[in-house]
Amino acid sequence: MGEHVEFMGKDIYFWNFIVLMFFTLFEVGAVFFETVPGTSIVITKMAVWIILIVVGIIKGFGIAAFFMHLKDDPRIYTRTALFPVLFVLLMLWGIGLSNPAGVTDLPSWCTPNWDFAETR
Amino acid sequence: MSGQGAHVESGIWMRAVMMGGIFLTIGVLLFATLGVFMANDKHHTWEELEDDYHHMEAEYALDSSEEGANISEHEKEELDHLHHEEIAAHLSYLSYRVSGITILLMSIAYATFIGVGGFLNASKPNGDEDHGEDHGDGYGDDHHGSASPIIFAFGIMLFLAGFPDFVIACKAMLSADLTPDFGMLALSMVGLLTIVIAVSNWWFEDLPFNGEGEQIATSYPFEGEHIRKAGLWVFIMSEIMVFATFFSSYLRMRTEWCTDWAIRDGVEACKDVPEGTVVTASDLLRYDFATLLPGAINTFALIISSYTIVLALKTAKNAKWEAPSGFMGKLMPTRKAAVRNYLIATLMLGSLFIVLKLVEWSHLVAEGFDIGTVQGSIFYIATGAHGLHVFIGLLVMLYLVFKADTVGYDEDNAQGIEYFGLYWHFVDLAWVVIFPAFYLY
Repeated sequence: MGEHVEFMGKDIYFWNFIVLMFFTLFEVGAVFFETVPGTSIVITKMAVWIILIVVGIIKGFGIAAFFMHLKDDPRIYTRTALFPVLFVLLMLWGIGLSNPAGVTDLPSWCTPNWDFAETR
Repeated sequence: MSGQGAHVESGIWMRAVMMGGIFLTIGVLLFATLGVFMANDKHHTWEELEDDYHHMEAEYALDSSEEGANISEHEKEELDHLHHEEIAAHLSYLSYRVSGITILLMSIAYATFIGVGGFLNASKPNGDEDHGEDHGDGYGDDHHGSASPIIFAFGIMLFLAGFPDFVIACKAMLSADLTPDFGMLALSMVGLLTIVIAVSNWWFEDLPFNGEGEQIATSYPFEGEHIRKAGLWVFIMSEIMVFATFFSSYLRMRTEWCTDWAIRDGVEACKDVPEGTVVTASDLLRYDFATLLPGAINTFALIISSYTIVLALKTAKNAKWEAPSGFMGKLMPTRKAAVRNYLIATLMLGSLFIVLKLVEWSHLVAEGFDIGTVQGSIFYIATGAHGLHVFIGLLVMLYLVFKADTVGYDEDNAQGIEYFGLYWHFVDLAWVVIFPAFYLY
């Protein structure tokens, strides 16, 4: 288990916990503030998107790798955890992002011609 | 208990019944304090402000009709101010009332679950009396599979088969406007009973477990691994797919909505759409500190609870554990007490999550965001499914607390905490996706 790895007298779980708390605060702040505090720099919708996705990946990695011990456990568990991710990505692309009536100006590869049957 | 078979007297289960009583007492006391005493006080304040508001509104309306003019800017500001105060007082009342009722209902559920399970097991004869030399679990030296999960699954099947009519029957009993199908209600109740019996039997089998006889997989791909752990990961795999369906359907709908954010961002297809046409939960939650607070606290609560369950596992597995000094040393004088207290902390944080979730829902419903809209439907289904997972986890945690308090966990039998921890971390992981998607974006 990861408690054997220590940094500044604290184990990896403690630091993972601190990182998770920090990034949660960061993502809440990124949405709550319309400009970067103390400046007039506007936090755009695209910036919020990027922040939420990147922070989500970091937090997800922290929980799965350290709290769920995937980093130290045999690789078969990581493969088991990653197996459904393939289907998740397919669902997010094929169902989530591919709405022909979408209004978000997504690139064309995101919205394939799902109404093909209808138009034909 | 490490290294030797754990002997568990059936009488020890009466402590579970006692635990149920403690939960019920705490629940009733908190309900009386928050849901009755404080909520009534807040209700008075709300009523007074509401009266003031309507009084002022009527007064200004009368004045303006007498003068034949509209109300002045100053009067409008005063009216607005009072209106906001009245809304804030209403939400404050809802917070106390809903949290009180939620705590009461949760404590009843906790007390029933642990109490009935404990009572059923206390009624059974002692394992040793029944089976001669064994671990007290009725299995002898050879640990083998349990039928409890299959009975449990069968109970769930029966419960869900009658569930739609179960809901109608509950509504009918409350309002008497509907005709309930008591046949299906009975099916659901049989399902619930089967679940309780299966779970209590599962506990009965697990309580004496001291790490001996853990089943090991003998074939690819999990060869050499604990079967229970492999099974739990396969279960988590299916859970990932469940949440992926919610998330992908939300994303599909979301890309079609001209939200205020999309309009302000200048999305071409939304240029003729007025603001406020599509209101999402995040539109109501993210711009104000007070409305964002419950969701944010919940996120922190889940992360902290993930950490406390890790600490419980770490403490259980640490044979060289030493009591900390100072205040923490008084809280955790022994390893057994430390594991139990970390689990109690996890239970409390999970319970806080449910309470705040329902408070937040009550605020959203009060603001008109209910399940009747597409936006409301996907929000309540996705966050509700997650909340249900948290609640089921809390019910399991009741047993972990009971075992930690009686038999205790150590380096040999801490698998229970480890495997439950995997589920709990997954619930945290799901929230890592749900929170930004439904609350922030």
